[in-house]
Amino acid sequence: MELGTVKDAFDQQLSTVRDTFERVAKRQKLSSSKSQEVIDQVSHEIEQTLANIKSVQGLMSPVDQKSILTELKHKLNAISPLNQLEGSQKELNIDLSKYPKLLEKSFNSDISKTYRNVDFDFHIVNQIIASHFYRQGQFDLGDCLINEAGEPEATALRSQFLELHQILDAIKVKNLEPALKWASTNREKLQLNGSNLEIKIHRLQFLEILKGGNRAAALNYARTFLSPLASLHMREIQKLVVCICWIGKLESNPHSELLDPTHWEKLSDELTRDFCNLLGHSCGSPLTLAMAAGIEGLPTLLKLANVMAAKRQEWLAMKQLPVPVELGREYQFHSIFVCPVSREQGSEDNPPMLMPCLHVLCKQSITKMSKGYSRTFKCPYCPVEASVAQCRQLYF
Amino acid sequence: MEMDSIPNGNSAVSTPAVTTPTNSTHTTPSSKLTQLTESLKLEHQFLRVPFEHYKKTIRANHRTVEKEVSSVISGVNDAADSDMSKDDAFQHLTSLVSRLQGLKRKLEEGSRTENLQAQRCRARLDHLESVDAENLSEWSNTRLKRILVDYMLRMSYYDTGMKLAESSNILDLVDIDVFQEARKVIDALQNREVAPALAWCAENKSRLKKSKSKFEFQLRLQEFIELVRVENNIRAIAYARKYLAPWGATHMKELQRVMATLAFKSHTECATYKVLFEPKQWDYLVDQFKQEFCRLYGMTLEPLLNIYLQAGLCALKTPYCYEDDCTKEDPLSQESFRKLALPLPYSKQHHSKLVCYITKELMDTENPPQVLPNGYVYSTKALEEMAKKNNGTITCPRTGFVCNYSEVVKAYIS
Repeated sequence: MELGTVKDAFDQQLSTVRDTFERVAKRQKLSSSKSQEVIDQVSHEIEQTLANIKSVQGLMSPVDQKSILTELKHKLNAISPLNQLEGSQKELNIDLSKYPKLLEKSFNSDISKTYRNVDFDFHIVNQIIASHFYRQGQFDLGDCLINEAGEPEATALRSQFLELHQILDAIKVKNLEPALKWASTNREKLQLNGSNLEIKIHRLQFLEILKGGNRAAALNYARTFLSPLASLHMREIQKLVVCICWIGKLESNPHSELLDPTHWEKLSDELTRDFCNLLGHSCGSPLTLAMAAGIEGLPTLLKLANVMAAKRQEWLAMKQLPVPVELGREYQFHSIFVCPVSREQGSEDNPPMLMPCLHVLCKQSITKMSKGYSRTFKCPYCPVEASVAQCRQLYF
Repeated sequence: MEMDSIPNGNSAVSTPAVTTPTNSTHTTPSSKLTQLTESLKLEHQFLRVPFEHYKKTIRANHRTVEKEVSSVISGVNDAADSDMSKDDAFQHLTSLVSRLQGLKRKLEEGSRTENLQAQRCRARLDHLESVDAENLSEWSNTRLKRILVDYMLRMSYYDTGMKLAESSNILDLVDIDVFQEARKVIDALQNREVAPALAWCAENKSRLKKSKSKFEFQLRLQEFIELVRVENNIRAIAYARKYLAPWGATHMKELQRVMATLAFKSHTECATYKVLFEPKQWDYLVDQFKQEFCRLYGMTLEPLLNIYLQAGLCALKTPYCYEDDCTKEDPLSQESFRKLALPLPYSKQHHSKLVCYITKELMDTENPPQVLPNGYVYSTKALEEMAKKNNGTITCPRTGFVCNYSEVVKAYIS
C-alpha cells in the first residue's frame, strides 16, 4: 500500500463531511434570516394598518374599519408567511437529514457492536479510573470521583502517588532534596534492581552547585555525598570532579554533555519508573495502556462482529477470538508460540519442541509426523531427519 | 512475526506472514497512519452528538416561529371577522405587533444558540483534522480524557466530568450541555417524579414514535402503579382510560398485567404483580431513559470507556496473564483488570510472538531467540550482555543452570 493512502482517502471523506456541514450551517443562517424577514413583513403590514386606523380622525364607520382589516387579512394572505417559512425549512430539513447519513457512511456508526453485555462491574471501573487519576497526579479528580461515586477510598495507593508527585513537583523547580531523600532511603532496593538513580540525582545537584560557581561548596559536596558512592560509580564521579576545573566556563569542559537540560526530564522519568517498580506498579497507567490497546484493536473486532452479525450467540459464547487482533509490540507481554504446522498455540500439554535442525514445532505436530513416536520424520522446513528422542522441549 | 529460515529451507509450509519492521520501537509511518485512520473512524459519536443537538435547536426555534406567526395571522383574521370598536381593533393589532417583536427577539437569541452549536460541530471537525504523526500522543491523551468525561456524564458523576473537562480545557470536545438535559429527567425519576420525563417524551414525540419507543408507556404504567399503591382506585381507573388505553393496540399484554394490580393491590405476594411495586422499577425507568436518550442523540448505549476497555482487554488477554509471574507491566496482572476480563474471550495469534524473559523485548530476526542446553530460551541481546559481563558464562535466571555462551544455539521459529 502506498504511504498514507488510507489516511488520504479519509481526509478526503472528512472534507466532504465538512462541506456538507457547511451547507447545513449556511441553510440554517438563510432560514433564520428568512424567518426574520417574514416576521418583519407581517409586522410591517400590521403597522401600516395601525397607521391607517390612526389617521382616521374621530369615529370610523364599521364598514371602513372592516374593509381596512379585511385588506390587511388579504395582504397577509398574499404574503403567505407560513408557506414562506415552510419553504425555507424544507430545504434545510433535506440537509439536516443528509448530514447524519453521511456521518454514518464515513464512520463506524455503531462501535458497540462488539460489546458483550457481560458483568462489567462499574465499581471496579471506578476504582481503576480513580487510581489512574492518582497516578497522573490529579488528586482532586480522583477524590472527586471517589466521593461522587461513593466508592471506598484507596488510601494507600493515593498516599504512594502523592509522595511520588511531591518529589516530581520539586524536581520541576530544580529542588532535588525530596528525590535524594527517597533514593537514599531506598538505596538497597534500588541497587538490587540495578538502578543508579541516586548517583544521577547527585550528579544534577553537583552540577547545579558548579553552575553557581562556588568551588569550595562543590568540593565539599563531592566529599560528603559523592565519595561514599565511589565503590559503585568511580568513573562517573571522576568525570564530575574533573568538571570543578572548568568552573565559570563549564560549557567548554570535556564532559559538557552532562549539562544537557534533558537530564532533568530523564531523571523525572527514571524516578517515576523506579518508584513504581519498587511499589510493584507498572511504569505507565494500566488504564491508558488498556484503552490504547482497545483503540488499536477495536477496528479489527468490529470487522469481525460484522462478519459474525448473524451469529450473535456464537459471538457472546466464544472463549477465544477466531482471528488475531494485531497490536504493537508495546502491548506484547507474554511469549506465545504458535506451531507453524498445526497453527495451535503452545500450551503446557502441547509445548514447543526444538528439533535437531533447530526448527521448532509443537509436540502434537511432532507426535503426528513420527506416527506416534514410532519412526523418524523429515522436518517440514529442511531436509534433516529427526526422531522424537532428539527433540527437546523449549521454555520461553 | 517471521523468523529467517535455515538456508535451503523449505518454507512452503509456512504461510507468508506480515513482516514487521525490524528492531525499531515504531511501526512504519504508513501502517501507523492506517491505524490512526481506522481509529478516527470510531469517532462517529464525537461528530454526531453536537449535530443532533444543533438540529434539535433549529427545529425547536422553527416551531416557535411557525406557531407564533400562525397565531398572529389568525389574530388578524379574527379581528377582520369580528365587529370590534376602533379602539379595540387598534389595541388588538398593537398587541399583535408587540408579540411579533417579542418573537423577533426570541428568534435572534435562538439564532445565537444555533450559531454557537454550529461552532461546536466545527470544533469537532477541526479536532479530528488536527491529528497528525507529530501530535499523536497529545491527541491520544485528549481522546482518553474525552472518553473519561463521557463515562462520568453517563454515570451521572457530573462534578468529576466537569472538573476533568475544565482542567483539560476540552469543554468544546465533550457533551456536558447535552447531558444537562438528561440530568433533569434522571434526577426527577430518582425522586419518583415522572413529569420531566413525560415532558421530555412530548418534546421528542415524533422521533420516539419513529423508533417505536415505549418509554412513555412505561412512565404511564408507573404512574398508574403509584395510584394503585395509595389505593386511589377511582383515579387509577380514570388514569388508565385516559393514558393507558391508547397503548392497548400495541401493548395489550403489559396493559392487562398492570391493570390486574387493581385486584392484587400493593401488598400482594403474587410474584407477577409484586415486582411491579418494587422500588427497582424506578431504577429500571432511569436505565430506560438513558437508553432512549442515547439513541436519540446517536450515542452508543454503553459508555465509550466500557467499549474500548473491553476491546483492549480482549486483545490483551492470554492464558499467561492469569499466572502468578505475569509481568506487572501487563494491565491484566492486576486483580481489577483480570476481573473485568474474566468473561471476555482470549486473544488469538497466528504467528509466534516471543518476549525475552530477561529484557522483555520482542525476539525477532534482529534479536533472535537462543536456546540454552536446558531448553530455556532468551534473546541474543540478553545472553550476549550476560556473557560479556561474566566472561562467557551464562546463568539461567529461572533454573540457575550454568553453561558457556558457546553452548547456546539459535532457534528458528516461524
